[in-house]
Amino acid sequence: MSRHTVCAAGLLLAVVVVCVVSGLRFRSMHTEDAIYPDGSLTEHRRLSDYFPALQGSAGDTDVYIFQGEAAGAGLLILGGTHPNEPAGFITTLMLVEKTQVVQGKIVFIPQANHSGFTHNDPFEASPQRFAITTPEGKRWFRYGSRLTNPVHQWPDPALYINPSGQKLAGAEMRNLNRNYPGSRTGGLTQQVAHAVMELMREEGIDVAVDLHEAAPEYPVVNALVFHENSAELAAVTVMGLEMTDLSFRLEESPRNLRGLSHREWGDHAGVFAFLFETANASHGRLKGRPSTALITEGQDQYYVKAARLGLLFVPFDEKGIPLRGRVARHVAALQALLSSWAELYPLKPLEVQGWPSAEAIAAAGVGPFLHPPN
Amino acid sequence: MQILYHFIVAYLSVSLLVYLFREKRLRWQISTAIVLVMFLLRLFLIK
Repeated sequence: MSRHTVCAAGLLLAVVVVCVVSGLRFRSMHTEDAIYPDGSLTEHRRLSDYFPALQGSAGDTDVYIFQGEAAGAGLLILGGTHPNEPAGFITTLMLVEKTQVVQGKIVFIPQANHSGFTHNDPFEASPQRFAITTPEGKRWFRYGSRLTNPVHQWPDPALYINPSGQKLAGAEMRNLNRNYPGSRTGGLTQQVAHAVMELMREEGIDVAVDLHEAAPEYPVVNALVFHENSAELAAVTVMGLEMTDLSFRLEESPRNLRGLSHREWGDHAGVFAFLFETANASHGRLKGRPSTALITEGQDQYYVKAARLGLLFVPFDEKGIPLRGRVARHVAALQALLSSWAELYPLKPLEVQGWPSAEAIAAAGVGPFLHPPN
Repeated sequence: MQILYHFIVAYLSVSLLVYLFREKRLRWQISTAIVLVMFLLRLFLIK
């Protein structure tokens, strides 16, 4: 056998090894994150139960329903609309594992864009996973992409006109939060949006919250975005938060920015629609090297410099903005929303027990409030 | 559409494989192997 044939065979073997190792590692992104709902869970459904065309697709996702003994209002909490904004996903997951509803109903979707959890954004060098330490060990969670996986929805158009008629960049066709109210016959992301709308109608949802994160240099951060039909509820909620020393920017949903949850949920499902934003350094453009520590601890020297130069919309020092603080902020806002609801709509009660306080999460971290790893 | 995509990537992967064994210069063989990795990952939709 000639020398160049031996070299070719050796190189081919190396190619196969590289493909198998990297392929298995990447395919592990399709392994589901474990969620252990509280024992008071009333019903575990799938999004495809509300729109059967999603069955068997990457867009189908878990829906957790907690129904109280007494009738009352319906609340929908959505996490994972953007899987690279982990505070939304982790807050929803933690509450699924800690919720007992006394009056009314709470519906959780922790991974709203399920397909987005199966890949990362190209060229971002994002970690595939991050860990949260519980007293019994570490639990690992996927860090996904803002958009639906192109393997599941492809190709993108050059220019995308969403179901509400807004012109957007082509890739936004895979952004769940640009696709409401969705479409029965559109791409996978539009169908997921349609299924969420169907869920709200079928489950009798009154209030719906979409949990997000944004870069510290983005103006709408540490913010509560509300549909104009929810102005009073939003104002009372933010006043309640101010009394606990948590400052939230109050932003009305722009009427000409279409396809977003806080706009289309209010317009098409008639619910009180909200979107909460926290500040996440791992999500921003000014960050240094991406790492799991940046996701969980939120410390970044370049953001410290940016804050000193007055370029950010949130305070940012050497302590950073850790995941525990971001989850605590989401929980505080949800608790304030429930208090405001009780004050404004006493005839349609919504009472929940078991949620850890924002102070406890900020002090001890998320880990102590998660189910131990199996 | 997906079958067409697979066919194109498979055709180019086989072409690279043939080139890898025909080429006598080690430097070009290494370059071919690197490109082949990317094509095989694409072929199995690992991207």
